[in-house]
Amino acid sequence: MDWLFPRGFKYPPDFHIPSLTGEPLFHVGPLSYTNAHLTMAFVIAILAGLAWFVTRDLRDRPSPLQNLVEILVQGLDDFVVSIGGTGSRKYLPLFGTLFLFIVFSNWLSVLPFIGQVKFLHSPTADYHINFGMALVAWVAYQTEGFRHLKLDYPKRWFNLSGFKDGPVIGAIFILVGFIELFSELFRVLTLTLRLWGNVLGGEIMLIVMSGLFLVPGLALPFVGLEVFIGLVQGLVFALLVLMYFVLAIESHDEEHEEGSDIDSDRVPSPEQHPAPQAA
Amino acid sequence: MEFAGLAAGIAVGFGVLGPGIGVGIIAGKSSEAIGRNPDAVGLIRTNMILGAALAEGLGILSFVLGILLWTRIG
Repeated sequence: MDWLFPRGFKYPPDFHIPSLTGEPLFHVGPLSYTNAHLTMAFVIAILAGLAWFVTRDLRDRPSPLQNLVEILVQGLDDFVVSIGGTGSRKYLPLFGTLFLFIVFSNWLSVLPFIGQVKFLHSPTADYHINFGMALVAWVAYQTEGFRHLKLDYPKRWFNLSGFKDGPVIGAIFILVGFIELFSELFRVLTLTLRLWGNVLGGEIMLIVMSGLFLVPGLALPFVGLEVFIGLVQGLVFALLVLMYFVLAIESHDEEHEEGSDIDSDRVPSPEQHPAPQAA
Repeated sequence: MEFAGLAAGIAVGFGVLGPGIGVGIIAGKSSEAIGRNPDAVGLIRTNMILGAALAEGLGILSFVLGILLWTRIG
């Protein structure tokens, strides 16, 4: 049993707080293959296997499984369109992949034995994997911003146009640009740490609640809470990435036009509604 | 080193205070908004989750700090 329970088997079990990152199983040169990698491979295999199995035999009169997956994909598509309009539908693959992978990994962390036995560790409870996902999303949305706005894109960070209106305004624009630039870098950090802290914190809370007073079932309400938090955090990660895409491809000029449109809708101009003439 | 546990507890305790108030305000205001305009429930819910996640991120930062201190113990 040593391969399954390295600390020995006993009941009631001796819960141990899950480690902050995955523990290396073996090393390949300077790289180590951790148990989080192994669990991530399981998650990828399950999700990819499901996708392959469902799309292998598509029918007009869908099987129950195909129906379920269609509802899921349609729901994600509707959500993306409701956030960023039909133009943002091309980000659905990244959004949906991140959402499904993160939610699946988060829900794995609630299961017993994940994080307890030697070779299983929830992927999103290891900040390296979250950092990788955040970095991929960051590079993707910066690339998309450059592709859409060309050289206008960096103008949101290095904006010299304020010097037309005097040196003070110009200096303020430069300062705001620096704040924007740092918030771009900060986004990677917050995306990583928010997900990691929530999942690992939930796991630690479940362990503590399981070991508290040795009351059976004390952790049960928290399992429900963790399932909900796992869904919300997956949604938040994917939604924030989608919002960053939407923010990256919108230019500031369009924003002003939209604003003026809304203003003219809300506040009717005097020409459209002439004042009633006194009789 | 012997104060690391105390420091971790204080960091997490005070760090979670602000985001807790913030998330409470967000949830209360969004409930109010749904009460005023029940048709906009989808949009309000999305914005509420987004705002709550952003507020919660600060609390998570203090939690991470607490964990970093906690690993210094012993």
